[in-house]
Amino acid sequence: MKHLPKHLQPRWRYLAVAIETWPDADLDRRAFQREIWYATRNLLGDTGSAETDVTVLRFHHDSCAGHAIVRVRRGHAESARAALACLDSVDGTPLGLRVTGTSGTVRACEEKYIRGPAKEPEQRQVVFDNRDRRAVARDGRVDVRTDDGFVGATDLDI
Amino acid sequence: MYEAVHARPDGSSTLARQARTAADYGFDGIVVRSHGDAGTPDDVEAVRDAVDIDVVDGIELRADDPAQASGLVGNYRSKRTVVAVHGGDARINRFAVENPAVDVLAHPMAGGGDFNHVLANAAADNGVRIEFTLRSALREEGGSRVHRLRDLRKLRKLVADADAPYVVSADPRSHLELRAQRELCALGGTIGFDAEEIRTGLTEWGRLAARNRNRLADSFVEPGVWLDDS
Repeated sequence: MKHLPKHLQPRWRYLAVAIETWPDADLDRRAFQREIWYATRNLLGDTGSAETDVTVLRFHHDSCAGHAIVRVRRGHAESARAALACLDSVDGTPLGLRVTGTSGTVRACEEKYIRGPAKEPEQRQVVFDNRDRRAVARDGRVDVRTDDGFVGATDLDI
Repeated sequence: MYEAVHARPDGSSTLARQARTAADYGFDGIVVRSHGDAGTPDDVEAVRDAVDIDVVDGIELRADDPAQASGLVGNYRSKRTVVAVHGGDARINRFAVENPAVDVLAHPMAGGGDFNHVLANAAADNGVRIEFTLRSALREEGGSRVHRLRDLRKLRKLVADADAPYVVSADPRSHLELRAQRELCALGGTIGFDAEEIRTGLTEWGRLAARNRNRLADSFVEPGVWLDDS
């Protein structure tokens, strides 16, 4: 199909999103996109959802951290932000997220708000609550595996 | 801006992890609001020294009846900087708003609880902050979220009419449930608050902590009267 003339082309804003999960999480772009659609529709309704038009462009996640670039229509970044805040899990996997910045181009978004490759998480054996346990450590943050799921801790607690 | 968080053992993240995440998210401080009966973290001072943001020792008291609540408030008032009461029950709500020793009445509409103009006026007279919790807006969906959002609108109207003080919190039980203030403001904007109200509510935790620290200090005699070193 023919390209639209420039003044009729849609204008976008790009949100950089930082993602955090427990180390056993396995997320992909498709599931993340689906949950965003659900969250947007639940919060903003069909009309708001169509107006915001949230699409995941880039997605990267390995074990406990990740990032994504989400495209929204210009002028609707705030409602997209609100919908993103309501995203609390993907396929039942709890998820923490934060919008680290917004820009007018994907490239600016990547360069300014997405940090380089995160440090590889490191498997460690730690003493937590007076017991020897397995843990995944990354940059001072330590996720300790306990009998009833993971516990979020830091170097201070170990 | 401050956020009020649950920390292990009442929640799945330790206080240090909550504080670290809150610092990453741009908060100026956090207030511990772990339920008293579930256990509160004992390393508040150590964490405060280790992280860049303020960490306030607080507690959320859960009680079955006003008599028990009164005993608990009396017990913890001099030990904790911020004392909140777990609201929801009609009698507990009334006890909390009529007691100036209580700092915050947490989620008065939770669990089918109700609030009215009499309670809102009492809260304004006694300086008890009413909490607007964004937890259900963030984590529930469908019919139950609709009910909670309706309750929040009603509560907001009552609090605004009585000019009662208020705080805002997303009530996170783990570091994954924390959300940054801009996200909370954006959410507030879509559910009937304005962004300024959410910001005021988040800042209020910090003002409350500063006031109470001043009151708990040795130099404090009564409001407006203090012992001067010089």
